[in-house]
Amino acid sequence: MSSIPPDEITSGRLSGALRPDRAIAIDPRTGDGTLIDDPSLRPALVLSNRGFHDITETVCGYVEQRPGGWWLPVFGLVSTLAGVGTLMILYLLVTGVGVWGLNNQVDWAWDITNFVFWIGIGHAGTLISAILCLLKQKWRTSINRAAEAMTIFAVICAGTFPGIHVGRVWMIWMVFPIPNANGIWPNFRSPLLWDVFAVSTYFTVSLLFWYMGMIPDFATLRDRAVLRMRAASGPTVAPFINLRQDSLRAWIYGVLAMGWRFSTRHWQNYEKAYIMLAGVSTPLVLSVHSIVSFDFATSIVPGWHTTIFPPYFVAGAIFGGFAMVLGLMIPARELYPNMKELITLRHLENMAKIILVTGSMVGFAYFMEFFIAWYSGNQYESDVFVYNRLLPPFISEVLGLERSAPYWWAYWIMISCNVLSPQLFWFKRFRTSPMAIFAVSMAVTVGMWFERFVIIVTSIHRAFLPGEWGMFFPTPVDILTFVGTIGIFITLFMLFLRFLPAFAMSEIKNVLPQASPHPHHTAHAGQH
Amino acid sequence: MSMDQCHSTVGHPAKPAAKLRAAAHSQVGVTGRAYWRGLDDAADVPEFREWLEREFPAGASMIDGDTRRTFLKLMGASVALAGAATIPGCRRPDHKIMPYSRTVPEEVIPGKALYYATSMPLPGGGAEGLLVETHEGRPTKVEGNPLHPTNRGKSSLWSQASILELYDPDRLKDPIYVPSGADVARSWQDVSLWTREHFEKFVAKQGQGLVFLTDRRSSPALGVMQARVEERFPKARWFAYDAAGDDAAIEGSTIAFGRPMREVFKLENADVIVTLDRDLLMHDCGGNALPNCRGFAARRKLVSASDTMNRLYAVESSWTVTGAKADHRLRLSPSQVGVFAVALAKELLRQGVAGTGRLAEVLGRTNAGGAEIDGAVVAAIAKDLLAHRGRTLIAAGPTQSPEIHALVHALNSALGNVGSTVSYRPLPASESVLSSEAIAGAAEELASGRCDTIVCINVNPVYDAPASANFAAAFAKARERIVASVGDNETVAAATWRLPLAHALESWGDTEAVDGTLSPIQPMIAPLFGAKSELELLGILAGDENVDGYEIVRTVYRSRGPAGEGFEAWWRRSLHNGVFVAGEAPAAPPLGGADRAAQAMSTWRTPAAQLPGEQGLEVVFTTGNLGDGRFANCAWLQEIPDPVSKIAWDNAAMVSPATAERLGIEQTDPTDKKQKGRMIRLVVNGAEVTLPAWAVPGIAENTVVVPLGYGRTVCGHVGTGVGFNAYPIASGRHRRVASRAKIERAGDGPAWHNVSTTQSHGSMEGRAIVRESDLAAWSSFGADPFKGLSEEEKTRLTVDSYGNKRDLNFAERLGELSHTPANINAYTNPQRGLREPPSVSGGASLAAPSSETGTPPDFARGPQWGMSIDLNLCIGCNVCTVACQAENNIPVVGKIEVNKGREMHWIRVDRYFTGHDRHDPSPEVAFQPVACVHCENAPCETVCPVNATVHGPEGMNYMVYNRCIGTRYCANNCPYKVRRFNFFDYGVKKLNGEFIGKGAMDSVGATPANVNLIPPRLRERLDEITKLQMNPDVTVRSRGVMEKCTYCVQRVNEARIESKLKGLNAIPDGMVQTACQQACPTDAIVFGDIYDTTSEHAEAGGGKRMGSRVRAMRDSGRTYSLLGFLNTRPRTTYMLAVRNPNPELADADRKHMWEHPFEHGQGSEDAHEHAPGAGGGGGHTGVSPDSSNFDQDKAEQDSGYRLSLSVLGAHA
Repeated sequence: MSSIPPDEITSGRLSGALRPDRAIAIDPRTGDGTLIDDPSLRPALVLSNRGFHDITETVCGYVEQRPGGWWLPVFGLVSTLAGVGTLMILYLLVTGVGVWGLNNQVDWAWDITNFVFWIGIGHAGTLISAILCLLKQKWRTSINRAAEAMTIFAVICAGTFPGIHVGRVWMIWMVFPIPNANGIWPNFRSPLLWDVFAVSTYFTVSLLFWYMGMIPDFATLRDRAVLRMRAASGPTVAPFINLRQDSLRAWIYGVLAMGWRFSTRHWQNYEKAYIMLAGVSTPLVLSVHSIVSFDFATSIVPGWHTTIFPPYFVAGAIFGGFAMVLGLMIPARELYPNMKELITLRHLENMAKIILVTGSMVGFAYFMEFFIAWYSGNQYESDVFVYNRLLPPFISEVLGLERSAPYWWAYWIMISCNVLSPQLFWFKRFRTSPMAIFAVSMAVTVGMWFERFVIIVTSIHRAFLPGEWGMFFPTPVDILTFVGTIGIFITLFMLFLRFLPAFAMSEIKNVLPQASPHPHHTAHAGQH
Repeated sequence: MSMDQCHSTVGHPAKPAAKLRAAAHSQVGVTGRAYWRGLDDAADVPEFREWLEREFPAGASMIDGDTRRTFLKLMGASVALAGAATIPGCRRPDHKIMPYSRTVPEEVIPGKALYYATSMPLPGGGAEGLLVETHEGRPTKVEGNPLHPTNRGKSSLWSQASILELYDPDRLKDPIYVPSGADVARSWQDVSLWTREHFEKFVAKQGQGLVFLTDRRSSPALGVMQARVEERFPKARWFAYDAAGDDAAIEGSTIAFGRPMREVFKLENADVIVTLDRDLLMHDCGGNALPNCRGFAARRKLVSASDTMNRLYAVESSWTVTGAKADHRLRLSPSQVGVFAVALAKELLRQGVAGTGRLAEVLGRTNAGGAEIDGAVVAAIAKDLLAHRGRTLIAAGPTQSPEIHALVHALNSALGNVGSTVSYRPLPASESVLSSEAIAGAAEELASGRCDTIVCINVNPVYDAPASANFAAAFAKARERIVASVGDNETVAAATWRLPLAHALESWGDTEAVDGTLSPIQPMIAPLFGAKSELELLGILAGDENVDGYEIVRTVYRSRGPAGEGFEAWWRRSLHNGVFVAGEAPAAPPLGGADRAAQAMSTWRTPAAQLPGEQGLEVVFTTGNLGDGRFANCAWLQEIPDPVSKIAWDNAAMVSPATAERLGIEQTDPTDKKQKGRMIRLVVNGAEVTLPAWAVPGIAENTVVVPLGYGRTVCGHVGTGVGFNAYPIASGRHRRVASRAKIERAGDGPAWHNVSTTQSHGSMEGRAIVRESDLAAWSSFGADPFKGLSEEEKTRLTVDSYGNKRDLNFAERLGELSHTPANINAYTNPQRGLREPPSVSGGASLAAPSSETGTPPDFARGPQWGMSIDLNLCIGCNVCTVACQAENNIPVVGKIEVNKGREMHWIRVDRYFTGHDRHDPSPEVAFQPVACVHCENAPCETVCPVNATVHGPEGMNYMVYNRCIGTRYCANNCPYKVRRFNFFDYGVKKLNGEFIGKGAMDSVGATPANVNLIPPRLRERLDEITKLQMNPDVTVRSRGVMEKCTYCVQRVNEARIESKLKGLNAIPDGMVQTACQQACPTDAIVFGDIYDTTSEHAEAGGGKRMGSRVRAMRDSGRTYSLLGFLNTRPRTTYMLAVRNPNPELADADRKHMWEHPFEHGQGSEDAHEHAPGAGGGGGHTGVSPDSSNFDQDKAEQDSGYRLSLSVLGAHA
């Protein structure tokens, strides 16, 4: 493995002073890496005709070089939000759940909305890593690491909410099947308990998967730090402390690398373990959100009690998760040098297609809910869809109806963001425009949050007995807690980009033309 | 037992500084506070004396040869140490442990409640007889006294809530003489000395310059004491005053009978009742409402299809629960109600009622009959009245003029009702004075300067006098203003002597009920704050040396009981029973009423000038939960919503939606929980009040309804600043109504006011929730809901497409059950088929085939509890709610939390309007109490992750607070939405209390409106005093746990123990009464073992019936399960409400429903507006075509289901 210190050109490139020579890099027929009509021609997965060493330099450069001037202000902002969110959670725990806007008619609102939202976000990473791995989709290699990291952070944010939304958080250990003197076990019939198991399993496996994938890259970072340490030229950790940063890196990455020596035996074990974990993760991708959907589907509340929920939730989670991956990676590839060579327009286009497919699936589910509500002949069911969600007051007025849906705006935000906005991706122009993709992915993220809000709040705020109908209004604590988790999420993600290998180097090297046993294809193809 | 048990207070007469009044509750149990005034005081403490005695000799050697300076240093340090030792916090309070069993009275078993009979005087006269539950000398719950003829075991909102008033920490605590400078607390000895000296001066003047202003109470002992005071001061002026009194009734009866009389009704004898703006069932004067409810209910209890009902016509301007229960409700403004009464009288005379003297002639000259009155309706009512001559009743209410009252008395007499449905009792002299004259007289005395000393007892004229009396200014003119009151109030604040009065539960006294029953008031506990009773205060004023309430009452009753030996036994028995002398049947009233009424009517003119309309509005002043305002500091009553408007913690100017629209004062979206009313100025005769407007369907047009008793400025933590004071504009001779009022937009101040309601949505949206039918339909189909169907049709209806046989009863055929396929369980329900299942309501009819019935599971033995709520009897009065609150330690949450929808009531009364829309001219109201229905298939139980809500072997759904972590999943999954979550520390923190850091927050203007947002550790804990009210048998819940109705499981357990001790095999039917059942004035709630076939109970119509009462209720054709189609199998079932409209007044659609009650799509086209879905809907089912009580045209909605069946080829 290469251990040569960065040469002058590379370091210039990393600092942004030098740009890669596009003329060599880009095949004129595939343009910037997107697909073209000729199916025999596949664009390169890594642009600019990079070699193995370039990949190492680029990826390790994100960790080893100081980031641009934008980093500190942005990090300052998001970590402040994270701090505010933490304070809000503390206030909630000290004072009571009443600091949120919940009431006896609407007992769940933003808390569970945020939980399902974040859990949904957490689905893309494992899907990309596991399912696309099993399906041998090579384009996953440059996005899987970041997507997995995002999964971990999203599940952390998600796990927060069921934890803090309970009234007596200090008694939450009672949901775990701990043998105790009372002889009382948790209620294994409750979907909330299934959630506990499903989410914790998912988190554990995702964490293992993520970590294991990083081990060779940790070793690379370790080795590079060791070499620089021996040269004894790097900066110290802090003034007056005689500890070189590289020593610290070598030590930390060394621990994380768990003795990885790039031996063939290691690689063989690694590949086996990777494929096994991918196999274990694949059903989890489907199970977690299915089980989360059981929270609703097993209830008797009209609007919740819906058998379509498990597939609908899984599709929605993949939908929302991919949108979030795009929402993070598009700005990152603008901000980090050379990232566009690794995450090409082809990647973006592929993900846009998945968004189009899953978006249409949730759109179909939305439609089916109405059909089933009508088909069931159950008034309570159809009322939820028509009068709790669909009908804006001005339409009711035109139709001469007494009732309209107080949360109609939430429903229509959901429809326009989740069903209408992805339809842009039928057009290649939008599919290949990072700006358009970013806009749609942000819309989808908003829409998916509203989807959960619509399912949870609009169903229960007007349930069976009109005498006990109510409304939910968020309090500032509600809002700041949610914004705080966005802060926590982005803070963690920025720390990830700063300190951990954001790309799976070995896997990217595998899809380089150089790695291909058929050298005559190197001119324009990396993959068949 | 009392606070005297606390040894730290024994022997130390408390002398707390008055400025510490607010904190006085916390000083209980703290020794030494009184000492730390200065060194002199501190030097006298035992520690110091001890030091002097023991330490000084030892120390003497130390200071030998030292300087004076050293001596002083040592002395100072020692004194400081001795003082510090007495400061609370430096030393643990000195409590000696003394087991309760040492001093406990013989009959007390610790942990077991004792019950004592007493009574409660009502404002304005009358009384209720109570039975008070006490735990170790601490009263915790009030019930009606079963032996008292007024209560018969039932109770009202106010008697239920009186227990909380007793423990109100804001009550007056010590006598305070204000002119002495600081508000220094005095002792009653000081009061006695001062009054003796002060009143001695008036003896010579025969009381010239003395004015007494008291409330109107019916009490012989008070009468005796008043006579003694008047005897001492013959020239003193004595005014009895009831701010919300019904002067018109007094004047009216004076016209009719020559002397003031009070009506006593026997509603059980009445076939036809006409009320003219009178709320017979809830706010009738002097506790009359309870017997009225009983009589009314006796004629509404339908058991079999052949039973009959009374018929109630309510003509009213505002909503009363009486109007809500009426078979025909006509809404008219107050003056139009009077016109209606005259029209009715003329029609009765025309149709030939006799014995009216000159009335016919006089009425012939009056020009009654406004545009709003439909002659056909009047004729029909008159015909109905005449057809039931002698068994009818007409009653006029407080908004009606004395002439109309007199006319009504004459009509009742002419219809032969006197003696049968109504009788009259002479009012005691003390209650005969008109309140408006009394307050005007008192104000006049004060303003003229003739009054030197005024004594106010139990009245609050500074707050509730009309603006025209200018009372507050006049009051200040009196040199000495002695105000005695139980709670703090505005008049107390303006007094020179503030005297705390004992609460009715801590003093001796007596009461006279409306029917003349004399009852004792017995103390349940020694006065908590060293107060004296009203009797004792009068004794002091009368110049007595030793006044003792007990002796006063005993002396008064010496003459009434048997003389000599027998007196003691009689006295003890009377105290035990809570009744001294039962009321006697009143003598016939003087005759000639008709002529006197005719005389009065000859000067009565159609109040054309008063006719409301563009030129002005009429204002009706009602008394709500707070009465005349004296209950304002009772948090329970504040949080109980108004029965119809559902407004809690506030009053508003209520108008009809059409009037609101016309005046441009509509509130914000009524479906919004954060509801706001537009602030308006209501101007009457130059006086005005600013308050929010609120639109309520069903109020008469051009009429403004304003509840009295709100807007207290000096009241306490709870009531201060709640609502708006409408008394200033109630300035007429008859204060309960005003005319020529104007509404203007409020100028300054906020334009909107948050109004908290406990229910934001009033329409049933076509769902079969409260089911109603008409008597005609019930009579035809009650026994056999499939009557008149061919065998084929019957088969089609009784066997659903899955082949389940469904013998639906009458009520079930009106609801969803007749449309939904029966639920077939995949799993055996452990609750099912354990014995012979009850044959009702989702029970047998929806039960799976009996082959599933195995041997009963072992756990499912013993009684199987269930409840039945008869919606035909429920009048929506909310007594169940407050009784439940008292029994189960349910916290109040305050206005802001109610506004958020977080009220904690375990049983709520849902109110639904029925009609086309909110502008419907004649909406009806249906009430439905909803508590946990204890489903056999409880949706809450399966979803709880920690097993905190589980099923008991007796069919109860248990809530295990200790196990609950508060996921609230159960509440989401409860279709009845009866679960209540402790979002904050409601139960253990003080409502509107203080918190640490308040000063700092105040200084930066950041004080939160909702004190709950302050972390609980920083907030003031619940007062020790308030905690005394808590029922020791029920847990006080912490924050973060869910709670709900338990079927009063603590009472069930008590009954189980009791029956076991008595050696009974089972708990006898009726031994357990839930708190709501016990209080319900109409007996609408029945609780018991639904499997009990062996008990015997009396039926309404006489005769016996086997089985428990609740079983009989469940067997009725009127019983249905709420949302039974969900297969929750609720243990609480409802009984459909039945109205009894006059066939002459029913339209064709309604009559059609009598023939075809289960038919769909009979409604007019207007009914479509409730139907969801693109296809629109049909009309309503059920009786009234314009009523959305019943599910809509299910045929249309079932189209998808039918389509699926036809696809499957399964449709018959």
